[in-house]
Amino acid sequence: MLKVDGVAYRYRDAALPALRDVSLNIPAGGVYGLLGPNGAGKTTLISLLAGLLTAADGSILLNGRPLAEARAANPRAIALVPQDYAFYPMLTVAENLRFFAGVLGLHRREIKTQCDAAIAFARLEQVTGKRAEQLSGGLRRRLNLAIGLLGRPQLLLLDEPTVGVDPQSRSFLLESIAALPAEGTTVLYTSHYMEEVEAICQRVAILDQGRVLTEGALDDLLTTAESSAEIELDQPLPPDLAERYSATDLGHFKFGLFFRSTVEVACLLDELAAAGCTVRQLHVGRQNLEQLFMRLTRRSLRD
Amino acid sequence: MTRLSALWIKETQALLRDRHGLAALFVMPIIFILVMTMALHDAFMPGAAIDVAYAIVDLDDSPHSQSLARRLAKTGSFRRIADPATTDAARADIRAGRYVLALVLPKGFGERLLTPAGADGQATEALTLMVDPTLNPALQLAFRNQTSAALGMLRADELTHRAGKLFGLPTTARPAERDWPDEIVSTAVQNDRSIRPPSSVQQNVPAWLVFAMFFVVIPISAILITERQQGTLQRLAAMGLPFRLVLLGKLLPFFVVNQIQAVLMVAVGIWGVPLFGGEALVMPSGAGLFHCWLVAAAVSLAAVACALLVASLAQTTQQSTIIGGVGNILMAAIGGIMVPKFMMPGAMQTLAEWSPMAWALNGFHTVMLRHGDFVAILPDLVKLLACAALALAAATWLNRRQTA
Repeated sequence: MLKVDGVAYRYRDAALPALRDVSLNIPAGGVYGLLGPNGAGKTTLISLLAGLLTAADGSILLNGRPLAEARAANPRAIALVPQDYAFYPMLTVAENLRFFAGVLGLHRREIKTQCDAAIAFARLEQVTGKRAEQLSGGLRRRLNLAIGLLGRPQLLLLDEPTVGVDPQSRSFLLESIAALPAEGTTVLYTSHYMEEVEAICQRVAILDQGRVLTEGALDDLLTTAESSAEIELDQPLPPDLAERYSATDLGHFKFGLFFRSTVEVACLLDELAAAGCTVRQLHVGRQNLEQLFMRLTRRSLRD
Repeated sequence: MTRLSALWIKETQALLRDRHGLAALFVMPIIFILVMTMALHDAFMPGAAIDVAYAIVDLDDSPHSQSLARRLAKTGSFRRIADPATTDAARADIRAGRYVLALVLPKGFGERLLTPAGADGQATEALTLMVDPTLNPALQLAFRNQTSAALGMLRADELTHRAGKLFGLPTTARPAERDWPDEIVSTAVQNDRSIRPPSSVQQNVPAWLVFAMFFVVIPISAILITERQQGTLQRLAAMGLPFRLVLLGKLLPFFVVNQIQAVLMVAVGIWGVPLFGGEALVMPSGAGLFHCWLVAAAVSLAAVACALLVASLAQTTQQSTIIGGVGNILMAAIGGIMVPKFMMPGAMQTLAEWSPMAWALNGFHTVMLRHGDFVAILPDLVKLLACAALALAAATWLNRRQTA
């Protein structure tokens, strides 16, 4: 559906490019996760896809057509849900929806139908007459999402859509977003919450310092060829064992280890017992997304 | 059109819920018009009475001293409220605040009217003016000048009278009773006819209307900055809405707001000011009224465009309130809104030519006071429209630059 090929972008007066040779393939009918630490280039990429910026190099194709051409032919094809509450606090929920539907150029009857559908989708029926500034954080997020669904976009760009909401609202938002592909809307989802991405995305890309570090189906990325393990002890790992199993210190007596074969796991447990170490937790095999993310982006602190 | 009407409806709804913005646009200028019209009621009336009281201590009590007192009373500029018998009584009254000036006519005033001090070897006692030290020096000087003038006329009449008697020339029977001063009538020069000069309401209504119209900067920037800070402008751009449409969406609602302001301020001038004892505003009729609207329309475009520029320059609503508010007050101070241009020194009048508020006020004065035609208001209209076009272009450029 959306093909990004060798895209680069540099902001005016910036020393380094925000994006370098970025290539992604976002198939239709799924939720695609875009991950990266702060400053990785996620927002720049979303701005390029939303038509707010124009790529200096490379190409972006939507359904085989250059993005600008595709957007000109159908301005409602791609919708952006920014991280901020991008609506009018002094207007009511219904007034906000009617306004954005009007800006999309929908006709009067369509405005009513689509506003009603958006209200039902985000379960905003009880608060349609309430001013947006009086809504709770969770309801504001739902309104932000509902506005993005007006015009029935083919691709919905969601930038951190669950920031600052309670667990109930987050769960509702995630379920709603996961249901969107079935209704014909492909979702590009950026978030810092790894468990969210792992729960609803079928494909992911990890960006750092303007480059794509990895991209592909989530299952493929999480299944690793090497036998790796994460172990948590009650004390530091003895140095000879740390050297033998190429340990990386993950903090709080947690260590990442590599095995040449899985039989080494049994040996390790014996050796730890002999050294007087108690094993609190052991995770062997498929890594989780957070482990993959941390391994690829390193553990250094970002801005 | 659906998009524009959606923008217009949104701006209207947002403005109707902005109480501070509405107060700045409608309540503040009405208060200004009423207060300033009342405060400056006399400042625009040539020869109008000055509300300053004086007393005369007539120690001479001669026909000449009485004549001087009558002549001073006839000028009508100052209010004579007492005739204390002694200087001590006058001093006590001034200290008590009953009046601020007391003119003491010394004993022998009439006798020595035509004898300059020391001319005959005897001292002539001077007239004394007792003054409250808090009195404006300009008013003290005005009273001294009036007294000197009255004294001069009294001497001249007395001299004529005596010389007439001496040379057998015809003289008036009672020179001391002659009216003084010879009245000088002020008339304002207008296009086709002469009427009396503008009243304070005719000066103040257009001035504060212009000021109020430029105050659209407060609500406009409040909404535009909220839109930018909350990512709403980004969302609108992502929806394919060009920025020029966003600007156009603000232009019409606030143009209407400005026109409502104009109608309201004129109504206050016509019906509100007389309720407070002021004079009613006189509006031109026929083509004059249309020209008045043309000026109002051009002022509105300039005001809204300037407001959009300020909103584009400022990053926060606090900044826009400072830039917009202070900028407006400066433009008003320079442009003759707060202090009429004719009261300014030459250099300041030249500076005033650079304030859009001065062009606006001049346009209104051309129509309302000088009954000017379209050609007469054209230079001001062109300046205002050029200002609007430049401000809009700058606002668009700034927004494009910020998003690049």
